[in-house]
Amino acid sequence: MRELWRYRELLFTIVERDLRIRYKNSALGFLWSLIIPIVTTGVLTFVYGYLANNGVSNFSAYVMAAYLPYLFFQQSILDSAQSVLSQVPLIKKIYFPRELLPLGIIIANFIHLLLGWLVFFAFLGFIYIRNPQVNPFQLSTIQLPLLMLISLFLSTGLGLIVSALNTFYEDVKYLTGVAMYLLFFLSPITYTSETVAYSNINQRTNGMLFSLYHLNPIAALSTGYRQALLAPASITIGNTTHPPIGMKPMYLYIAAAISVVVLIGGYALFNRMKWRFVERP
Amino acid sequence: MSEAMATRTPTISVRNLRKKFRVSNSAIGGLKTLLLWWKKRSVREFEVLKGLDFDCYPGECVSVIGRNGAGKSTLLAILARVYRQTSGEVKVNGRIAPLLELGAGFHPDLTGMENIIFNGVVLGLTRKQIRERIPQIIEFSELGDSINSPVRSYSSGMLARLGFAVAIHVDADILLVDEVLSVGDYAFEQKCYDRVDRFRKEGGTILMVSHNLQAVERFSDRCVWLKDGQMVMSGVPDDVLAAYLKDQVSAQVAETQAPE
Repeated sequence: MRELWRYRELLFTIVERDLRIRYKNSALGFLWSLIIPIVTTGVLTFVYGYLANNGVSNFSAYVMAAYLPYLFFQQSILDSAQSVLSQVPLIKKIYFPRELLPLGIIIANFIHLLLGWLVFFAFLGFIYIRNPQVNPFQLSTIQLPLLMLISLFLSTGLGLIVSALNTFYEDVKYLTGVAMYLLFFLSPITYTSETVAYSNINQRTNGMLFSLYHLNPIAALSTGYRQALLAPASITIGNTTHPPIGMKPMYLYIAAAISVVVLIGGYALFNRMKWRFVERP
Repeated sequence: MSEAMATRTPTISVRNLRKKFRVSNSAIGGLKTLLLWWKKRSVREFEVLKGLDFDCYPGECVSVIGRNGAGKSTLLAILARVYRQTSGEVKVNGRIAPLLELGAGFHPDLTGMENIIFNGVVLGLTRKQIRERIPQIIEFSELGDSINSPVRSYSSGMLARLGFAVAIHVDADILLVDEVLSVGDYAFEQKCYDRVDRFRKEGGTILMVSHNLQAVERFSDRCVWLKDGQMVMSGVPDDVLAAYLKDQVSAQVAETQAPE
């Protein structure tokens, strides 16, 4: 840990380099980091407002609240997978703490998440201007830094694991891609946890499914972000409108515990493997 | 001279250094090797360094010679902390700068300038220190305005010049040179050697690996001959080179006679 502090200049430089490279050959450059969430919000507003209206007003905000952190998670881990492997020529020449490579990439993605939130709150402001009777801003937004800390721990832990393993087994990269893809549909991002709660199968199992479903830290986090940032909304399934139900904070505690374990375990695994990166044949 | 050196503390001190590599035949079998971990793979182990002892002192240029596979580059990599030794002790007093060959640490999409900053930080400077040195580095590398173009447009000579210019300007105490001083044209090569000379006069230590025996003779104070991971001889370059050449010739003779 002390060594990481000593190399903080390098960590900043890796972050800066990653941010620069990403948009190096594009005309709009860094603006893309803002354009992507803006366009996404616009398209989602159109889709959920007109094409797939489910009775929740401004449902696109509910999707964005869960999608932005998911995007951070997904992108951090997919980028981490290549972080060490792509720098093997460099680490064969010179020493620096190897963990800086995935860490730098995760921090760069975290900065993108912050920019995403900027767009998100601007969107809430826009909703407020259009309809001043309802204030979309919630007091519980103060929980956001805590939620982001859990996301950061989870992403860093998994990023370290994936970057170390992918250096030796390149299948890991594809496997992670598939896992991310499935996780997207298995988490309440384009739908809400209420949809899961009121599903027939959950009713038949007396809520067992709902509990199991939220043991997935990404599912718990998605609902957590949504509850912190937005007012509870009742949803319509078929012809019946259901009142919102809150997720117990216990699921967030579990997610937090999992992410701490993953972070510690991931760092330990990375440290065990890091000397062999250069001896990779 | 040797008495004067004995009183000073060595910048590099190596004791009974050993390095083993494990080479499996199905090297990166992808996930297959991970899933079939219980299956015995044919793992070959070979020892590249078999117990080395030597010291380098400030202001000294030590060159390591030997045939391909003798363990020269492995030795440099262990000193640069790229590899971890299997056993033995390595003590390094001061900051090491390996000369990165042909811009190994350069990112093709970034400009020369951005790469200078990145490489300088990797070599242990702060960004502020690097910025102060940028004019000198650009001047030394003779890149001129190309410094603001992406590195992918550089020729190999330009890359090598930039790499050398960065490494020599980071105020390291020890320079590890692996066969890279012959970069660019003759004039630039001379400039590099002059700069390396100055570095040594200022008390820097140089450890170099070279097959260019003329360069070894001209620059080093001491020569270490490695053969199959062991030190055969260490001493004044003239003596060691003579013995090395004699051995090479007799090995060649033995080889040509062997088939008969």
